Amino acid sequence: MSMKGFDHGNRGVGIRNHQLILPSVVCSTRVSSRIAREVGAVTFAHQHGCGFIGNDVGRITDYFASLANHPNVSSTLIVGLGCETLQGNELADKLLTKNKSTNYLVTQDSGGVAGTVSSGISAAMQLIRDFPSAATVLPRLHLGIDLSNDNFKVDEIVAALTEVGVDITVAASHKNSGLNFSDLMEAGAHVILSFPDPNQPPSGFPLIPTINVSSGSPLHLAISKDFDLEPQASAEEIMEKIYAVVNGELTKVEAIGSGEIIAAREVRSV
Amino acid sequence: MSDQLKAFARSDGRFGLRNHVLVLPLHSALCATARKIADGSIGAVAVSHDWSGEVDGDFDRIVKTISGFAANPNNFATVFLTIGTPNELAIIELAKKIGLVRAEVLNVAEFGSMAKIADIGLQMANSLVKESKLQDRVSAPWNAIILGQECGGSDALSGITANPALGVASDRLVELGAASVLGETTEILGAEHLLAARAITPEVGAQIIETVARYERSINYEGIDMRGAQPSRGNIEGGLTTLEEKSLGAAKKAGSAQFSGVLEYADQVPNSGLYFMDTPGHDTEQLTGFGAGGINIIVFTTGRGTPTGSAIVPTIKVATNSTMANAIPDLIDLNAGTIADGLKTLSEVGGELFDLILEVANGKETKAEKGLHHEFSLSRMYNTVIR
Repeated sequence: MSMKGFDHGNRGVGIRNHQLILPSVVCSTRVSSRIAREVGAVTFAHQHGCGFIGNDVGRITDYFASLANHPNVSSTLIVGLGCETLQGNELADKLLTKNKSTNYLVTQDSGGVAGTVSSGISAAMQLIRDFPSAATVLPRLHLGIDLSNDNFKVDEIVAALTEVGVDITVAASHKNSGLNFSDLMEAGAHVILSFPDPNQPPSGFPLIPTINVSSGSPLHLAISKDFDLEPQASAEEIMEKIYAVVNGELTKVEAIGSGEIIAAREVRSV
Repeated sequence: MSDQLKAFARSDGRFGLRNHVLVLPLHSALCATARKIADGSIGAVAVSHDWSGEVDGDFDRIVKTISGFAANPNNFATVFLTIGTPNELAIIELAKKIGLVRAEVLNVAEFGSMAKIADIGLQMANSLVKESKLQDRVSAPWNAIILGQECGGSDALSGITANPALGVASDRLVELGAASVLGETTEILGAEHLLAARAITPEVGAQIIETVARYERSINYEGIDMRGAQPSRGNIEGGLTTLEEKSLGAAKKAGSAQFSGVLEYADQVPNSGLYFMDTPGHDTEQLTGFGAGGINIIVFTTGRGTPTGSAIVPTIKVATNSTMANAIPDLIDLNAGTIADGLKTLSEVGGELFDLILEVANGKETKAEKGLHHEFSLSRMYNTVIR
């Protein structure tokens, strides 16, 4: 099966061609969304980047670096406020792409909101011009499996996909799909196959297409239209769907809009 | 009754200073749909969060935050998006109990898909917005104002200009019968004895001291020195040297009135007097907790400049210094740096801020409102890594 990809340089070959506008602190999420809307990039709101201590500083910095380095990302514009705990230059130090397809802006040095939005739009467009993504063939697919519904048996799918050379990471340490997605993002999965808990709705991760498989629970049956696959989907059907999504078909969650990111923290905010 | 203040009367006797239609997702997976509804509507607002129904140590705190926010008097109506779990439905009931009059519920499990509730939600939001515009403001008593005090990105001038100017305005409002709330436990650390001395009773004073002590214990328990985050790097660049120095300046926001009581995070604020609420210093966790407590207007002093605001609570930004106010004017509603410049006195700027609070209460839009800054953060106490 041939798989389409995008050459994203140091980030690797991705299956989506997303520019990421990454707010490095909650205070710049609105500015980021205004920039992203203008240039057709991906962004998301979160509540991190300031007022945190201990291991969380390194944890969240690494998490944001993984987002910026993800293979589905063509280029990243980091948008900070200026006075926050997580400083953009320290984040940039962790990036594979430092000084290349990553740029960094700070609202407090850019004349305020309007100034940051307009310089952000220019900077994002410049990144797109400087780093055009060439279409290529994906040499090896990395599939992430969210097994927050551990009743689901995935051995057959894992065996079949492994045999055809797909790398697989299974995240089963959380009952919460969002936390599993974050683990899979950090592992560099191109696409996620999610088996949500019977009492949880389908969900997804920004940047990474997420295929949701219904459990057949009452909730899942009630919203079956929001699932990509039925509970009785065979291993062949699941593989077929994965290949379709890899080659560009939008998942149900992608069509609604990007999901939330859920980043774990050890300590309360201060 | 004040002849200067006009507000939206709620049927439970509370007053709103805004008449918002809030689209509130009760599950993180419904946030994209909520944003889609608000973005497509003629003026509804939405918030996003990362709670997916977990029942853990933070459950009660999250339930209280979301239900209180839904019930804020600034909401004309709240449209809940839900997957229909008993816990989500209980949040809606709790919001009604607090005082939410117009609650609309869109259960995705009843409508069959997120696309369907996006369509119906949009029609519903638009019709509620139209209805909200038919309601007139009426003359309201001073206790219609429930003011929240916040500071963020503080600098060396915070404790000399913007914070004491807010203290002047807060004192005047409290004297007239309004409620005013100081938050940010992190930022009274080291100044708690001064605040406790102003408590209305020895018991309230002891509560202030204990709230700070409890907070220090909870952080020390983690084996971490919070001074790694406080004062923040931006504070240090702004000329602050220690957390205690930051606190002495931060406490000035509360003026010189007596403290009538201590509130837990997101507790409903009584409708007159000065209170202390136990919130994190984290700006948006505090803004959210204030909104959940029924605070209907916020003054946010800033030295470094920050754009953040609330979807439902107007947030007035006061600059501590003229350099920043001039460099990033689209974030700032009032420049208190004129005090340090020697151009105005503290009582003049305090008076200007009082007048501005009244204008904003009567409907004048703040910079954060114009910019549609609708940040929302859930405050958690427990480790989520192991969840």
